[in-house]
Amino acid sequence: MIAPETPLKAKIVDVAVETSEIKTFAVRFIDPKVQKRFRFQPGKFMMVSIFGYGEIPISISSSPYKIDSISFTVANVGNATNAMHRLSKGDEIGLRGPFGNSFPLQKFRKKNLIFIAGGCGFAPLRSTVFAFQEKKKEFGEAFIFFGCKSPKELLFKQNLDQWEKEGKMHVLVTVDNPTPEWKGHSGVVTKLFDKIKMPVENSVCLLCGPPIMIHFALIELQKLGFKEAQFFASLERRMHCGMGYCAHCNIGEKQVCTDGPVFTGTELRKMPLRED
Amino acid sequence: MQVLVPVRNRLGATCFAELDDPAEQEIFLDARTDFSPKQFFLPHAEKMFRFGKSNFSCKISQLSEKKPTVIFGIRPCDTHALQALDELFIGSLGPDQYYSERRKNALLIALQCAKECDTGFCTSMGTSQATGHDLLFIERGSDFFVTAASDRGKSLLDSKFFKQTKDAAPSPRIECKKELLTQNLEENLLQNFEHGIWKQEAEKCLSCANCTQSCPTCYCHYKDDEFELDSMDSTRYRMQDSCQLLRFSQVAGGMIFRKSRAGRLRQFVLHKLCYYKKRFGTHLCVGCGRCIAACPAKIDLTEIANAIQKEAGVQK
Repeated sequence: MIAPETPLKAKIVDVAVETSEIKTFAVRFIDPKVQKRFRFQPGKFMMVSIFGYGEIPISISSSPYKIDSISFTVANVGNATNAMHRLSKGDEIGLRGPFGNSFPLQKFRKKNLIFIAGGCGFAPLRSTVFAFQEKKKEFGEAFIFFGCKSPKELLFKQNLDQWEKEGKMHVLVTVDNPTPEWKGHSGVVTKLFDKIKMPVENSVCLLCGPPIMIHFALIELQKLGFKEAQFFASLERRMHCGMGYCAHCNIGEKQVCTDGPVFTGTELRKMPLRED
Repeated sequence: MQVLVPVRNRLGATCFAELDDPAEQEIFLDARTDFSPKQFFLPHAEKMFRFGKSNFSCKISQLSEKKPTVIFGIRPCDTHALQALDELFIGSLGPDQYYSERRKNALLIALQCAKECDTGFCTSMGTSQATGHDLLFIERGSDFFVTAASDRGKSLLDSKFFKQTKDAAPSPRIECKKELLTQNLEENLLQNFEHGIWKQEAEKCLSCANCTQSCPTCYCHYKDDEFELDSMDSTRYRMQDSCQLLRFSQVAGGMIFRKSRAGRLRQFVLHKLCYYKKRFGTHLCVGCGRCIAACPAKIDLTEIANAIQKEAGVQK
């Protein structure tokens, strides 16, 4: 399929500005045969090369059922992402992957999906929500809890608005630092948990966001009666190869790029997540 | 073809190199070298490929040097180091094309140690007999006793440099000055993740990364894309990295997952003596003792591990 260390060329077909710091890039492989054969499951990531600047791991944020293009939702936080933010439609990038494991949706049949997202961590979860929408009959209800720092850092606004109107989907959004115009919830995302009756039985919790958010969310969820086997969190670490050779993403004996990025609550408890 | 032998260079360090300047180099066969031959399998910097970018069309053309190599005088501990690296680089994840090409093209002529080195503990790690080599040379004063351990090695013994003998193989005894208590090592280290010894030892640590540089199994690397000065092409390099450096676990946005020196020292020791074995079945430490010899702060991972082992009740 795709060569292990050599990227394949892809062209940017759309750029959507989510916030002042976050953009979503839709890309398509230059070789249409590669694009046609491309498959991924939600939670997987790719190693994205910005020529001359470097290669970074980015989760896929588009639907696994709409694969005429692949979307990456990227925050402008470093050299490579800064260079990527200066690219526009028609520019080329390199892609390797998809890498990592995924949210095991086949194990979630008939279960309620509880999504907990912080900031740009929403990217792989959005891909999973799209998968839920495509096969709604096979799952229970979806609860989407999303927290970000301020109203102007709210991303995927159009998706959130659309999901609120759909059946079997509940959306709650909060911001850490509200502005006077903000009419919604404020505070950290865990404060949303008591704003709605969440089914604990037959549910799984899918989390992605800053480490501190995941840490406190798991504590609050356990207080509500959830067990660690119901948790699936997507972690991030520094990665250079994405395939298990460079050792940067090691957490104990696990590697985020090959054993993860999705880890169960049971695995997380045994991992040295706090190494200071 | 390149022929690499252990030499002492003009700076006084011993390493493997081509013997191209007899005035500046002398062959060194007394003990294991300060630097292992690791850099011939995992170079400090390696060109992976070049991206051509002209008229906005990117051509990706690969660069890969395949040079047949003979390494003479590799010590048993270092042969075990290559076997440990093979578990990752030619193992279940699929072969890394850069490393595996070099391994295939390298002939290993091992040299048995005649005596123990200053800081090694190979007998504790079970690495004092060579493995995966092609030929083994054992010193006998006026000559070497040579055995073959591979088909490639066997075919070499037909050459005029070797004379068949009915003598028994000499077996020099090694009495390592250091010892590592290995019983239940992985579990005892994990149980003591929060032990005060990590912080205590790390107080001395300078994060100089001498340990990882001199280690024959440290394989962490990063990637760097550099623009060529003459065109809009850029070349991707693979460069050796060190988990002891602060920025090793830093992500864009600023978060550093292993900020303290204690955390980084612990990562080094646990990767060598615990995590790798749990994952691949073999320790990443071969008891060569180079990290101990190279550390300017005299941090000794056998002392750290043994302190934890003794507290856990392990006896000699």
